[in-house]
Amino acid sequence: MRGSVSQSAAALIAAALCLGSACGAVWAFDDAQYPDFKGQWIRVSPPGQPAFDPSKPRGWGQQAPLTEEYQAVFRANLADLAAGGEGLWPGHDCRPPGMPPMMTAYEPLEIIVLPETTYIRIDHIHDSHRRIYTDGRDWPKEVEPAYVGYSIGKWVDENGDGRYDVLEVETRHIKGPRAYDATGLPLHRDDQTVVKERIYLDKANPSLLHDEITVIDNALTRPWVVTKTYRRNPSPRPEWQEYVCAESNNHVRIGKESYFLSADGYLMPAKKDQPPPDLRYFNRAKK
Amino acid sequence: MPKRSSIGSMALSATLWMMIGSAQAFDETKYPDLKGQWQRVGAPRWADPSTAPLTPEYRAIFEANIRDQKTGGQGIDPTITCLPPGMPRVMNVYEPMEIVVTPHTTHMLMQHIHDSRRIFTDGRDWPQGVEPTFAGYSIGTWIDEDGDGRYDVLTVETRDMKGPRTYDSTGLPLHEDGKTVIKERIALDKGNPNTLYDEITVIDNALTKPWTITKKYVREKKKQPDWRETVCAEGNQHVVIGKENYFLSADGQLMPAKKNQAPPDLRYFNSARK
Repeated sequence: MRGSVSQSAAALIAAALCLGSACGAVWAFDDAQYPDFKGQWIRVSPPGQPAFDPSKPRGWGQQAPLTEEYQAVFRANLADLAAGGEGLWPGHDCRPPGMPPMMTAYEPLEIIVLPETTYIRIDHIHDSHRRIYTDGRDWPKEVEPAYVGYSIGKWVDENGDGRYDVLEVETRHIKGPRAYDATGLPLHRDDQTVVKERIYLDKANPSLLHDEITVIDNALTRPWVVTKTYRRNPSPRPEWQEYVCAESNNHVRIGKESYFLSADGYLMPAKKDQPPPDLRYFNRAKK
Repeated sequence: MPKRSSIGSMALSATLWMMIGSAQAFDETKYPDLKGQWQRVGAPRWADPSTAPLTPEYRAIFEANIRDQKTGGQGIDPTITCLPPGMPRVMNVYEPMEIVVTPHTTHMLMQHIHDSRRIFTDGRDWPQGVEPTFAGYSIGTWIDEDGDGRYDVLTVETRDMKGPRTYDSTGLPLHEDGKTVIKERIALDKGNPNTLYDEITVIDNALTKPWTITKKYVREKKKQPDWRETVCAEGNQHVVIGKENYFLSADGQLMPAKKNQAPPDLRYFNSARK
């Protein structure tokens, strides 16, 4: 049985306290101050495998401003993919996409806004949850790099109406390897990427959310700006599916080689004429 | 430069009615303070396996699993291939937990395999046709037990779990029928608000009676705790091919997990056919 908390009584007490010293406690959770990001957000992108920039075709069509060196890296990755390899997309091994490709929202995302932190939950390859700290902290001196990186945000009231409307985020300390999408479009191996975002509701349609993402990366000749859009699921109680990469992954990596698992449970080559794995540690193989 | 809002001027301009309304919507003072980073106390074990009220059938499954582990196998622990532990095992809290309380949902965020949970507290009924998941579908109710006008206990029921699941890495099994029901009472210690308890009752067809244990967690003292990222796929040395489990050696080669284990069948490789 639920307890006897009276909401109206609690509200009156809260209002009374707000005139005194406890005002901060009430304000701390005043969600009217923040844009309504509640619900389930689903990416808006053309059908098929999503690209990092949803407004452009995949691969070279993305027109990512790659340096010559990383154009060559991408070219080699495409050749590997064409030969049956996995290329540079870490998701083949169930490693998380990390920032910024995770914001492609391969699975729906949920945004939980609290005064000190905004959380972004995306249950994709990895059960990823971004923490965007909005408590005014500075960059810590030592941060263990993570695929999601370390994100600090700031709420901005752009139109001066007394309510925040944009969440500005900067993310650093991102771990690799990462690629922008499954074509293997690469980010730099040095993992010095800095990602800046502006996250806001569409002014005309509050069921659309935009994330304007600026990637600053040493594999680029200049910052690359991409805007992603998400549509709010109209269901007030949407389903949250569990996506477990390990459950259905038929890629097996042994050493530096990647193989497939056949439907009947045998190891098989991923590329034409690929040699089998070295079985030196098995007694029978030594004979 | 964008204009930052002034909370002070907003407070002055807001009407009392609006303040009351927003306080009702999101008044954190109604809820216990579960903020911060919670760490388990002790090893990530469910309980002494000998105390588990397993049916004879599942006791036999558990003992066969132990024999397999003694010969180098992995038993029936599904997490060796990075499958999620699922409920109730996630409450072992393999990696530190954050509890994010909002009026409609309490989120439990645990960066392990796929351990995070949503506990819906919006008064919903059990939906029809839920797709089973390892974490299950959780509905919770906040309770003001001592009548002081503040909630102090979150009671949770979880259904619609998917398998295979075990309680911990010993391979102590839950029934494979996926009909487990889990009831929890989550509350702060009355004498020490930096200690959290989760009293967990498992109702499962592999048990002869409901099994209740209590998990204890302590709050990290650091105001801005570190949240370490763990990625199972990154350091996993287990490789399952067909029904056999192998290891990856430090030099990246496939190696047997058990003494005299046969290598994998390489029938699909040209060179193996020669």
